[in-house]
Amino acid sequence: MGEARKTPGDFLPGTLDMLILKSVSRGEMHGYAIAHFIQQASRDVLRVEEGALYPALHRLEVRGLLAATWGTSDNNRRAKYYRLTTAGRRELEEEASYWRRVAAAVSRVMQTT
Amino acid sequence: MRSSIWRRLVALVRRRRLERDLDEEIAFHLAMRESDLRDGGLSDTSARAAARRRFGNVTYLKEQTRDMWLFPSFESVRQDVRFAIRTLRKSPGFALVAVVALAIGIGGNTAIFSLVDAVRARALPYAEPERLVELWGNVQRARIERRGTSYPDYADWRAQAKSFDDMAAFSDITATLFTTQEPERITAELVSAGYFSILGVNPARGRTIRVDEDVVGRPANVIVMSDGLWKRRFGSDPNIIGKQVTLNTRSCTVIGVMPPGFKGLTDSAELWAPFAFMGSAEAMAERGSRSFAAVARLKRGVTLAAAQADMDAIARRLEAAYPQTNEKRGVEISPLDVELVGPLRPALLVLMAAVAFVLLIACANVANLVITRSEARRREMAVRTALGAGRRRLLRQLLTESCVLTALGAAGGLGLARAAVPALVASAPVPFPSFYAPTLDLRVAAFTIAVSLACGILVGLAPGLQTRAVDLSESLKDAARGSGGRRSQRVRASLVVAEVSLAVILLIGAGLMIRSVRNLLALNPGFNPSSVLTLRVNIPRMSAPAAAGAPGAPAGSSATPASPPPLVVQARSLVERVRALPGVVGATLSTDLPLDGSGSAVFYTAEGQPAVNAQNIPRAYLHRVSPDFFATLGIPVTSGRTFTENELTPASTAVVVGDEVVKRFWPGQDPIGKRVKFGAVSSTNPWLSIVGVVGDVKYRGLPENPTKDPDIYLPFVDRVQGVAIAVRTAGAPASAAGAVRAAIRAADPSITVFWVRSMDELVGVFTSRSRFIMWLMGVFAAVALALAAIGIYGVMSYLVAQRTREIGVRLALGADGGDILRLVVGNGARLIGVGIVIGVAGAFALARLLSALLFGVSALDLAAAAAVAVLAAVALAACYVPALRATRVSPIQALRYE
Repeated sequence: MGEARKTPGDFLPGTLDMLILKSVSRGEMHGYAIAHFIQQASRDVLRVEEGALYPALHRLEVRGLLAATWGTSDNNRRAKYYRLTTAGRRELEEEASYWRRVAAAVSRVMQTT
Repeated sequence: MRSSIWRRLVALVRRRRLERDLDEEIAFHLAMRESDLRDGGLSDTSARAAARRRFGNVTYLKEQTRDMWLFPSFESVRQDVRFAIRTLRKSPGFALVAVVALAIGIGGNTAIFSLVDAVRARALPYAEPERLVELWGNVQRARIERRGTSYPDYADWRAQAKSFDDMAAFSDITATLFTTQEPERITAELVSAGYFSILGVNPARGRTIRVDEDVVGRPANVIVMSDGLWKRRFGSDPNIIGKQVTLNTRSCTVIGVMPPGFKGLTDSAELWAPFAFMGSAEAMAERGSRSFAAVARLKRGVTLAAAQADMDAIARRLEAAYPQTNEKRGVEISPLDVELVGPLRPALLVLMAAVAFVLLIACANVANLVITRSEARRREMAVRTALGAGRRRLLRQLLTESCVLTALGAAGGLGLARAAVPALVASAPVPFPSFYAPTLDLRVAAFTIAVSLACGILVGLAPGLQTRAVDLSESLKDAARGSGGRRSQRVRASLVVAEVSLAVILLIGAGLMIRSVRNLLALNPGFNPSSVLTLRVNIPRMSAPAAAGAPGAPAGSSATPASPPPLVVQARSLVERVRALPGVVGATLSTDLPLDGSGSAVFYTAEGQPAVNAQNIPRAYLHRVSPDFFATLGIPVTSGRTFTENELTPASTAVVVGDEVVKRFWPGQDPIGKRVKFGAVSSTNPWLSIVGVVGDVKYRGLPENPTKDPDIYLPFVDRVQGVAIAVRTAGAPASAAGAVRAAIRAADPSITVFWVRSMDELVGVFTSRSRFIMWLMGVFAAVALALAAIGIYGVMSYLVAQRTREIGVRLALGADGGDILRLVVGNGARLIGVGIVIGVAGAFALARLLSALLFGVSALDLAAAAAVAVLAAVALAACYVPALRATRVSPIQALRYE
């Protein structure tokens, strides 16, 4: 797990991976759908530089947190679908709880007058 | 993380697929975005542009994504290799010279290694060969001498030994095989029933000999034949089992055919028969009649030493029980691989060392080239350092370059070895065992890879040592002028010294081998081997059945008569026919001939001598010869006379002895008329009178007979078993062979002729190993000399080029050409001198390795001096050419050189 986390786009370190894992935790998705989901769910706040998604996706695949299969999309094109592995689910839980702690801590700091 | 490595490995193998998938994945993304944007009302072209914009730099991101799958270090190695190949292609001359030098070195090593590798124990074509041993009798005389064993001794060994799974006697014989075709003399083995199972070889057809078929005195008439004989004589007859063939006078049933390639422990047998064929029950009960060896399989876990202790105890018991025959008799256990391939090993190890030296010289040469190049690239290196390349990174780059070079060299070397190995084995005069099949297998490939990696590191390290001292600003300034640092000159100088000293060692080795072989060839064997044709004939007592006769009609099936029928032809009349042939100077009969591998020894007694014991009982090799034997073979009669025609009877009491007999018993006396008898003084054998003394002959080995036991000659009388004929010819012996064969066949077609060889061939067998080594050492030394000369030339040329300015100044200041020549050559000569001193010291240190292969030379030989002289001459010549060039330097140009 000692791999350095690259931070494409304007995200906090490591958050892109977590967001991807979270998106995929809802079911199999292809890359475009993941980008779309993150943007929509964040109400356009988090706009992924779409290309930056792919190094992250592949890194997660190499690490065994995502598994990928080729399938057919709604409009009948071949697309690569990602799904969470058991290791990925574990990772997501750890990341999410860590994120909640950090976010809560940050907002406590910010609310302190 | 293990699985992530695995996924990366898979990706590595499926690199192209990964690439395609990624392309498709990104294309899908772009298409989706595009169609969404179009749905939002954008035009086709602006939708495409906007999709790309939102995606980012496609190429860069693809690269980034791909990198996720790679091993980071592996990738930079790939880059290094690519870069190395690119730089090498920019200087093809350098690359070619380096690769060829390395290919020669690595190829030679691979070839010799595959020869060495093929003589390890595992290579023997038997099951678990490391547990197989041969057992020999031995006797303690002046020193311990190896002997065969006797059947009673063997039977006791087998019954009492606890160290072996099983033990079997075996003995090689030649026998005449009668089938429907003309009779043929073949080599066969008489073997105990356990022989085949001990070796772990099963018959391809039928079965092997059973215990109840090998009973002394009444063996079953059965034989097993080799695959080769079955194919050659019986046309691969599928119904061969149960057929009858006649072996000598016995009609035998074929019970089995062995698998292809199996030729028995003698590596020449075509047929196997029960050991009890050896002789009558009475003859085989003679405990003192020792003539054969045994083979045994050690029990699992029993060491050689334990087995030896076991057998020693048995030998002591036998000695106590049968002092008459077993006094001072021991048992010698020898691993089978030592017996079969052992003699080849020291020779191959010497060659391995020699060829390793060649490789080292090649490496030194390439290292030199690499240094020269790295000098030229100092600027490049300095620039790269300035741009932030770490020293480790640069060092790795250099190592990668040299590894690429050696990998190419290794590929060339493997090709070279592929061609060289079969040629070597085919052209070697050394008698390799027939199963000896050196191949370029995985072990050899592993060896080659290891060797070339070592070379790559060796070669790459030399310039690497220099980059250590790269002083940035210095080299940036310096490189322009192109002068190498002090350090590099020292590295180069030591490379020259190393090359010279390695070449000296090889040249001295080759020189010693050449001298040794010359000594061997010049050795007086006690007879004159040139222009002598030797052959053996087997004269049966009755003509063979006509070729069309009934298959397997037993030649000796009639009841054995009281007195044997006469031979079909008297040997003496046979030799008369040969003598009458044109081109034949003389021909003679005997029971055996020098160096033909047969002959047996007997104990004898000299009259009037003090009593003897087991350790000094006189023993001599016995030969029956016709009167002109000594003249025909050129053996000098030093006193007395040879036999007369009317002494050629069994009752004759005339005897001719070798000089050694006289030296032992009657030194300084007239030996003529002195008497000897065979056996102990108390035996009933008649006393024989010495009528002549002849020079001692190297009868059983070159350069020396294995034991000092002399030869004793008796008059020739007709006999059945293998009569030897020696023919002195006017021309080449081989050219007379056809006519001699024809003359013998004309006398009676049932006479079998075999072992037709020139005496020179027989002598050649004993010098073959030395000649083989001499030849290869010569080749290696020549290659080493050439490589060293090239290396010295290269370095000296470089140094001259470096000093052009200095030389120009000297010339301008009034030095003449001679001064310059002396300067440069003197410079080289110092290095060469140091190299020679180290080389000579090394040669002395290594002479022990070679000494087992040398005859009549020591490391201090003249040959060593000659070798040094040759090297010094060649090396100085290699200096001279660049020196000469230096004298032609025009001072003006030299000063303007920069």
